[in-house]
Amino acid sequence: MAGDLVNTLADLKEQEVIKIAKDRLSAGEEPLKILDDARKAMGIVGKRFADGQYFIPDLVYSGEILKAVTEIVKPKLTKVAETKRLGKVVFGTVAGDIHDIGKDIVVFMLDVSGFEVFDLGVDVPAQKFVDKIKESGAPIVGLSGFLTLAFDSMKQTVEAIKDAGLRDKVKVMIGGGQITDEVRKYTGADAFGKDAMAGVSLAKKWIGAG
Amino acid sequence: MPVIRDIPLSLEISEVLRREGLGGYSKVRPEIKSLITELLAGVKKAHLLEPAVAYEIYSITEMSQSQVSLEGNLVLQCSLLSSLLPQAKELAIAVCTIGPRLEKQVTDYTNRGEPLRGILLDGIGSAAVDSLTQEVCKFITGEASSRGYQASSPISPGMPGLPITEQWQLLEMVPAREIGVSLTPLAIMSPRKSTSMVIGIGPQMTTWTQAEVCGRCNLRRTCPYKVIPRRGGVVKRTDQRL
Repeated sequence: MAGDLVNTLADLKEQEVIKIAKDRLSAGEEPLKILDDARKAMGIVGKRFADGQYFIPDLVYSGEILKAVTEIVKPKLTKVAETKRLGKVVFGTVAGDIHDIGKDIVVFMLDVSGFEVFDLGVDVPAQKFVDKIKESGAPIVGLSGFLTLAFDSMKQTVEAIKDAGLRDKVKVMIGGGQITDEVRKYTGADAFGKDAMAGVSLAKKWIGAG
Repeated sequence: MPVIRDIPLSLEISEVLRREGLGGYSKVRPEIKSLITELLAGVKKAHLLEPAVAYEIYSITEMSQSQVSLEGNLVLQCSLLSSLLPQAKELAIAVCTIGPRLEKQVTDYTNRGEPLRGILLDGIGSAAVDSLTQEVCKFITGEASSRGYQASSPISPGMPGLPITEQWQLLEMVPAREIGVSLTPLAIMSPRKSTSMVIGIGPQMTTWTQAEVCGRCNLRRTCPYKVIPRRGGVVKRTDQRL
């Protein structure tokens, strides 16, 4: 039964996944076990994406199916289990850049993977990142930027975090169109993700869940 | 300065799929294909596309290795033109947009927890901008032809040899505000589904295909949106390197 949910979700068979989740819940199965299987399936989806078998729309589709499963089991979860998240992430597109689609995909994948994400939107001033890190206590920050001109803005944001005395308390990841390790070094970030799943993997690794 | 609106766009499914990162030999899931079809119908029904172009044609007064001087004491920093289009007599500057409505719908989908619809619609918007670019190029080519000239393929800021910071200059050279296009402090166009371009006009102009541009891009190995040359010699070769 567990294998059914894992493989069916990994194969992106939405209606079948929902039926299996409902049937298992009706049979009295522990809702957290169902969610755990769904997240195992996401691991397979991530591998297929990395291997080039799946593409960005498939990845987002898998996230929507996982979200649907979560909605089904949510009423049966205890309050503690419902609110338990892997960790907090502050995310946004840096000042001057207004591209949002890549950022939205990473935010969505982090959310369905169990993170509490504070999405600051696009064209986010460095100070707004600093304020949200202080307010939320998030240990992870994601900076998105699409064009090469955004690299300076990323660098300024990392410097603002440092000037606020928060650099040792957070890990910073960057991502966008043309990010390389050279860019990562230039901006002062800790790591870069080449796609949404890489961002999720980094976040999991940093909170010790990877 | 000329502004044209209501330009008919043809959105071919293959181009939409490429802009979804599903071009080339990618397998397309039936659920996703049917959602794209549904979204395309919705784009038409809700009039989400408002294509417009602002353009102007300037005479070239001088061309050096690094810049081009134009009538009205205007200067464009562009090292590509002297190597690629040395015979150009004029430059057409064009700024195009499909307007803000589609982007707003993308944001609405994302905010409603429907990111798949959001990213697919975003891809449709990108394909619409590509189609608009082609229409503008056809129009400029026709205009050049009526005066016995040829038109080159378009060069856009961000391509090697035309810095993206030249967007500031380009937007000053056409009535971009009339079509609602502006720049962020980082020279990013707003609405995002917009593009700007420079087209050489002269007695003998070089042309190239998008597949050739993609083939020479730094991201050619990994870019999911690249144009792959078709078999059978459809791609027109040039001796010039872009």
